[in-house]
Amino acid sequence: MKCPVCGREAVTDLCRYHVEAKGKVEVAYPHWVKAYGNMGWEDFLDNVKRNPQSGQWVKEIAEFLRG
Amino acid sequence: MVICEKPDAARRVSDALSGGASRIEQIEGTTVFRFNRKGEEFVVCAAQGHLYDVSDPSEERTVYPVFDVEWYSSDLVDEESRSAARRISAIRKLALGASKFVNACDFDVEGETIGYNLLKYTCGGKEKSALRATFSTLTEEDLVKAFDNLKPQAGSGLARAGRTRHAIDFVWGVNLSRALSQSALGSGHRYRTVSIGRVQGPTLGFLVEREREIRTFVPVPYWKTSGTFEGDGMSFTAEYSKERFETKQSANKIREECVGRQAIATAVRRRTIQVGPPVPFSIGDLQKEAYRLFGYTPSRTLQIAEKLYLGALISYPRTGSQRLPPSINYRRIIQSSGRIPAYSAHASELLKGELKPVQGAKSDAAHPAIHPTGEKPKRPLEASESAVFDLVVRRFFAAFGPSARRELAEATLAVGEHEFSLVGGRTTFPGWMKYYGRYSGYRDVEIPRVSDGDRFRVVGVALEEKFERMPPRYNQSSLLEKMEREEIGTKATRAEIIATLVERGYVSGENMEVTDLGLSVVETMAEYAPSIISTELTRQIEGKLEVVEGGGGGEAELLRETVRSLVGQLAELSANEEEVGREIDSALTAAVAKSFVLGKCPVCKAGNLRIIRSKATKKRFVGCSNYSSGCRASAPLPQKGSLRAASKPCERCSWPVIYVVGGRRPWRLCVNPNCPGKGKP
Repeated sequence: MKCPVCGREAVTDLCRYHVEAKGKVEVAYPHWVKAYGNMGWEDFLDNVKRNPQSGQWVKEIAEFLRG
Repeated sequence: MVICEKPDAARRVSDALSGGASRIEQIEGTTVFRFNRKGEEFVVCAAQGHLYDVSDPSEERTVYPVFDVEWYSSDLVDEESRSAARRISAIRKLALGASKFVNACDFDVEGETIGYNLLKYTCGGKEKSALRATFSTLTEEDLVKAFDNLKPQAGSGLARAGRTRHAIDFVWGVNLSRALSQSALGSGHRYRTVSIGRVQGPTLGFLVEREREIRTFVPVPYWKTSGTFEGDGMSFTAEYSKERFETKQSANKIREECVGRQAIATAVRRRTIQVGPPVPFSIGDLQKEAYRLFGYTPSRTLQIAEKLYLGALISYPRTGSQRLPPSINYRRIIQSSGRIPAYSAHASELLKGELKPVQGAKSDAAHPAIHPTGEKPKRPLEASESAVFDLVVRRFFAAFGPSARRELAEATLAVGEHEFSLVGGRTTFPGWMKYYGRYSGYRDVEIPRVSDGDRFRVVGVALEEKFERMPPRYNQSSLLEKMEREEIGTKATRAEIIATLVERGYVSGENMEVTDLGLSVVETMAEYAPSIISTELTRQIEGKLEVVEGGGGGEAELLRETVRSLVGQLAELSANEEEVGREIDSALTAAVAKSFVLGKCPVCKAGNLRIIRSKATKKRFVGCSNYSSGCRASAPLPQKGSLRAASKPCERCSWPVIYVVGGRRPWRLCVNPNCPGKGKP
């Protein structure tokens, strides 16, 4: 099975790199919610996607999760 | 018969020993020098780097494992070294008439290996009876001294260590290269060499580890606050003492609780600290400093330093030492350097006092730290040579300078329970900084003149939203530093190893970004042959090579151990050939596809501009991937040389910029034939 984000070999539903990126995005979300007081999941993904400090695989997975 | 490492060194040795009266002869196209000295006839010849290399004695180039290796003349190992055969033949002819042999190659592992191999294979087994000339500069004084004090060549651990290193690296490289290339071939990819060297593996491992951190980095927001204060006719800002606030709400609270209130200056402190001079340059220090100041890559700095050494302007650069022994004659070097106008004032000043340089912790038995020889350049130096030469001279002078003094100023502005900080510093006595000049890098940051108890009004508090920054990519300098810290590679090879990672397409040259191929090679190794990218194994081998170098022996056992550790790893790779092949193949395919893409099409803004080869004319040109949807953007391309896309498009027209590699140096070209800044992308 191929990773739907990048076409690499998938280890679960994603490749190992996007699995790792997804894990880190999920860990970061509560920190963003706390930092701003309130933030929806989709808003958070949009922000992560736009942020120049986000890593390449993180931007890709944010875009994928945003749908 | 004297054997030098390079032709320039042979000319300098001849000039020094003959007082400039040597006769030049051509033997089979190789320049040699003849002269008489103290009643003996001398002939001086030169290698051109390594004239012998290790290789696999079998004819088969795809089979592995390979554990039998032999030394061959370089022309048999590498077709591009054709001149090696002619040079070896000339040296062999000269050796027939020689009664005494002197190895005058650079005094380090590589130089010793070059000389040893020539004495053994070309001169008919003279490696044990030959004499050794050791010197750290190519000045007349040092060369004459070296030849008046020749030492026996026999028993040198340096050559044994060098030959062992070459054998280990060959066995390592050839087996892994064949295992990986065969796997990719088995997976259907056309043959391409995929290789990983002994030190390259762990080095690429560092880069991949950092690359993964960067690409999976999720920034988390935080806030910084600073206050603006007014009073006593002054207005200034100060940072809040807590560096960051995790929530916007907590940062806002500072504003609410401080604006309009009174601040009292407390803990005003000015203190003076001493800043000692920087230690003399080892090659690693010089490479890092040249990168910091001029942006030169470590391999470029090494090349420049070697040219300066061959011009007798600086001492031997491949040294790990940060120490300057008195035997180099500090006074003479400073006096002579003072004849160059740029350094005369500083030289006169230094010569008035006692000359005692600061010494670093690292030493090297073979050579002192890099220092100027005091000789004036006999030809105009290129800009880069001039920059490195100036850096070496100034660093040498700075080592003799007194400590500098800096006044550090700190103050706290208390607003109830909140505290804001002022921090500054200025140089009050330049000491060594005067000699090191613009390279010293200290800046003066003044703080407002406040005293304990002074009162100010807080007129505003600014909140700045920030995001955690992704870890920085290694650059060539920080990677070199990491290799030093991890004790892998040697002072002579680290820069070349980094350059090879770029050359093999594992890392892109400009910003050291790991490519998909580099990621795949490391991930594959981590899964099937983890020792290959392990720092531990490489470090152990380096440690044992150092023992051999120091004369402790053990090279045969070290070779056996290396082979043993390789056998297990190769077996794993072989047993998983299909999976390994699939992984490497997909990375190779992606790398090839990516190499044709130059960048976004500025015309249709939807497709990518790509390199296409015309089926009719076989010529390459630029075309848009969106051609089928009507985009007709296209441009001609140079037909010679390899092409590489630059990271940024042309500033004038937004078309891609390429590097054309093939001539003496790569040149940049905007591919748009109608670019308004044509010729200046």
